[in-house]
Amino acid sequence: MPGFSGGGVGGGVGGPVSAPPRPFRPSRYVPVSAATTFLVGSTTLFFCFTCPWLAEYVSAVIPIYNAVIFLFTLANFCMATFMDPGVFPRAEEDEDKEDDFRAPLYKTVEIKGIQVRMKWCSTCRFYRPPRCSHCSVCDNCVEDFDHHCPWVNNCIGRRNYRYFFLFLLSLTTHIMDVFGFGLVYVLHHRQQLDTPHAAVTMAVMCVAGLFFVPVAGLTGFHIVLVARGRTTNEQVTGKFRGGVNPFTNGCLRNISHVLCSSQAPRYMGRWRSPQAVEVQPPFLRPSLTEAQLEAKVLDNGIQNDRHSTRSKSSLDQMESQSADAEPPPPPKPELRYPGLPRADTEESSLLTEAPPTPSMYKYRPAYNSPGRNHTALSHPNKMIRGESLDSPSPSILQSSRQPSYRSEPSSLDGATVVGGSVGARRGGGERGEGPGGPGATGVTGGMSGYSLTGRSYTSYPSSLVLSAGGSRSSSLRSAQTAHNPLATLQSEGTTDTSYKSLANQTPRNGSLSYDSLLTPSESPEFESAAHELSPQKPHALFPLATGATITGQSEVVSPSSPLQGYTSPFLSAQIAQQREGQLLQGSATFSSPHRAYLRAVSPTPPSSSGPSETHHLLQHNQDSTSRALRAPSSSSSSPGVRSLEPPVSPPPRSLSLGKSHSYTGEAGPQHKPRSTGGGTVLGGGGAGGGQQAPQSTSRTVVANHTTSKPGGGVKKVTGVGGTTYEISV
Amino acid sequence: MVQDWRKLEVVDRCVADSYETPTMAETHSLQDLQQPAVSSKVFVQRDYSSGTICKFQTKFPSELESRVDKQQFEETIQTLNNLYAEAEKLGGKSYLEGCLACLTAYTIFLCMETHYEKVLKKIARYIKDQNEKIYAPRGLLLTDPIERGLRVVEITIFEDRSIGSGR
Repeated sequence: MPGFSGGGVGGGVGGPVSAPPRPFRPSRYVPVSAATTFLVGSTTLFFCFTCPWLAEYVSAVIPIYNAVIFLFTLANFCMATFMDPGVFPRAEEDEDKEDDFRAPLYKTVEIKGIQVRMKWCSTCRFYRPPRCSHCSVCDNCVEDFDHHCPWVNNCIGRRNYRYFFLFLLSLTTHIMDVFGFGLVYVLHHRQQLDTPHAAVTMAVMCVAGLFFVPVAGLTGFHIVLVARGRTTNEQVTGKFRGGVNPFTNGCLRNISHVLCSSQAPRYMGRWRSPQAVEVQPPFLRPSLTEAQLEAKVLDNGIQNDRHSTRSKSSLDQMESQSADAEPPPPPKPELRYPGLPRADTEESSLLTEAPPTPSMYKYRPAYNSPGRNHTALSHPNKMIRGESLDSPSPSILQSSRQPSYRSEPSSLDGATVVGGSVGARRGGGERGEGPGGPGATGVTGGMSGYSLTGRSYTSYPSSLVLSAGGSRSSSLRSAQTAHNPLATLQSEGTTDTSYKSLANQTPRNGSLSYDSLLTPSESPEFESAAHELSPQKPHALFPLATGATITGQSEVVSPSSPLQGYTSPFLSAQIAQQREGQLLQGSATFSSPHRAYLRAVSPTPPSSSGPSETHHLLQHNQDSTSRALRAPSSSSSSPGVRSLEPPVSPPPRSLSLGKSHSYTGEAGPQHKPRSTGGGTVLGGGGAGGGQQAPQSTSRTVVANHTTSKPGGGVKKVTGVGGTTYEISV
Repeated sequence: MVQDWRKLEVVDRCVADSYETPTMAETHSLQDLQQPAVSSKVFVQRDYSSGTICKFQTKFPSELESRVDKQQFEETIQTLNNLYAEAEKLGGKSYLEGCLACLTAYTIFLCMETHYEKVLKKIARYIKDQNEKIYAPRGLLLTDPIERGLRVVEITIFEDRSIGSGR
C-alpha cells in the first residue's frame, strides 16, 4: 500500500507541483505489506476457523463484535496509510527571496513564554513552523511531525495522527480479542488439538501473542504522549526533558484535541482558484499620516525575530529532529539598518529593487564550526569588508543598508579584492578596519568602508564571494588572494556562524561548501545567485582579474535558473547569457586544483567581451551582493586568482577550458582539496591573491558531479541542490 | 523582460507624466492593459505566541505603508485570525463530526465536507471580497494562505505607474 506521505506531484488543476517525483523503492513497501498480510490474514483465519464454533456455542455476538473491531482497525489503518499527514508545499521562489542570504539558520519564536527555534529547511525553503519536521524518507516537511511509520509506510503528522492513534488502540483491542477467543476455543478443544481448526487457531494465537507485546507497548507510549501533548519526535529527541512543553493545554484538552478536533485541511494538491480579481492602475493611495511616517522610520517590516542564530548553527548540526540531512540555509541578512547612511545611492537603489536571496547559504550545511566562530570573534577586524558588516552580529549585518554588501558571505574572505586596484588595497587595509571603518559603528564603518571600496571595484562583491556560500561582497575577498583562503573563510565564517549561509560558505575544512555544491540538491538559489552576480553595473575600474573572479562565481549559476522574482535592471540579456556561460566555465574551473580562479568568460560571448564582461560582473557583484550570494561555486575559483593576476587577463575561457578537462575527469575526491581553497574564492580569485592555495578553488564546485556529456564541448555538471550546470570544455 | 522594456517605452513616450492619462497608457501598450507587473511581495508571517493555532501577525508591514491604511490591513488580518480560530475550534460540531466519521469507517468524508473545509471556503470568499473592495484598487493582492500551507499571507504589490511611484 503506497503511502501518500510524499504528496508527490501537487495535484489539482491549479495546484503547483511542490515535490519532485521520487524513485520507486520497493523496500519501502515490505513492512507495510507484512503488516497488512498479518492483520488481514490472521483475522480471516480466525473468522473462518474459530468463529463458527464460538458463534454456535458461546454467543452469536462474538463474530459480529470482532468484525466491527476488525473493520475499525482496518479503516484506521487505511487512513493512517493513505492520508496526507500534513505535508507543506515547497515555498515558492518569491518567498524565499525575501530572506537575504544572510538569513540565520534558526529563527526563534516565543510560544507561551518559551523560546522555540524554527529551523530553516533548505529543501522546502522556509523556516519550519514549530513542531514541523522534515521527513527524510518522504522528503517533505510535515506539520506536527510525529514520526515516520514503516508499518504504514507514511509519516504520521497533524492530519493523520488521530487515525494512527486509533489504529493502535483498535489493533491492541483486536489482538486481545483474537487471542482471548482463540484461547477459549483451544481450552474447549483440548482433546482435539490435532484437528486443523485447532491447529489454525493456535497458530493465530501465536501470531497474535507475538505482536501483542510491541503493539501494546507502542499504544501505551502514545497514550502517554497524547496525555502530555507531545509528539514522538519531541519525546525521542528529548526536547522538553526537564523543561516545559509550550504545546500542551492540559491532559483533557490534549486528548480532545487529538480525538475531537476537526480534520485539518490538506495543503498539497489543492484546487487553486483562478485569480478573479483584476488589479489595474490607477491605484488609490492612503494619505501619509504622521504615525505612518514615524512607523516608516522605525520599522522595517521584519516581523520575525532574527537573533536566534549565533552559535546555534554548529550546535544544530548535532541535533537531528528527524533524519534531516539538508544543509542549513545561509544566514539571513537582517533588514536594512535604518541608521546606516546610504553610501551609494545607486547601489542602494539596486539593492532595494531586488532583495538578494542568498539561497546558497540556505543550502549550505551548517558547518559553522565553533572554531570558526572563535576565529571570527577573535579577529573581528579581519573580516573582509563584507564580513565586517556581519561580524558584529547577524542583526548588524542585516542592518546593512546595502544588501549587496550584507549578503555576501564572509566565507570568501580570502578573496580579497583583486589585486592591483585601489580597492583591493583598501579592502585589505579595511579588513582590519572594517569594523572601525569610516562609519561610526563597526557595522556602519564596515559598510561604509565597504561601500567605498565597493565603488572602486564594484564587481568584486558578491560574485567573488559567492563561492559556495553566497559569499559576501567578495570584492574584498577576491582581491586579496594572498590570504589563506581557509583562514579568511574562517574569519568570515565566524561572523556568519549563525547564518544559514555560513554553513555554506566555509566549512571547517574549507571544503564543505564545495562539497555541498557538489552534492546534488535543489539549489536553484545558486543559480539565482550566480545570475545576480553577473549583471553588474559597468565600472571599468577593476582589474580584470577581479572581474574574472567574479565572473567565475557567477558562472556557477546554472543557466537554467532565471533571476527570480526580479530582474536586475542592469542585467542585460547578453550579460545574462554571458554570465551563464561564465558560470559554467567557472564551475569547471573550480575543479582543477591548480587554478582555482574563476573564469569569467562565458563560452558564448567572444573572448574580447570577456574582460568587459568581467568588469560588468564585478560591478554588478558589488551592487547586488546579496543577490549574488546565490551564486555558488563560481566564486570559489580562488586559485584561479593567480591566473587572473594580469590586470587584463586573457579571457578566462581559455583557461577554464583547460581546467574543465581536468575537472571533468575528477571525481568527488578532488573536490575536497579544491574546495577548501576554492571556497573562499569565488570571487576571491582575487587576482591579487595569486598565492592562495589551491584550496580556494574548489570551494564552490559544482563540477563535481559531471553528469552529462560534453556535448559540443559543454559538460553538464550537477551541482549542489541538483542543479545542472553546463560547463564548456 | 520584454514586458519591462515595453513598459519603459510607454513611460518614455508618455513623458512619465503619471497615470493622468491612463487611456494613453492603455493604447500604448498591451501590457498596460493586462495585469501590471509585480513590484514586490510582502509576507505576513504566522504568530505563534499562543501555540500552533493558526494566527497571523497583525503587525503592519512597512512596505505597505504607502499603499493601504494600517487600520484596514489590521482589520483584515484580525478577521482572518478569527475565521481560522473558528475553523480550529474544538466544539460540539467537530466532535460530532468525528464520531460520525468513526461510525461510518470514515466513508462519510467522501460525501461530506469537514468543518474546517467549510470555514476555509468562507475565508477564501472573504479574501476575494477584500481583494476586490480594498486591495486591488490599491494595487495589492492578498493570496489565500492555504496556498502556502497556512504559513504566510502573501501580499503582492503591483507596480504603480504613476509618476514618482515605484520603478
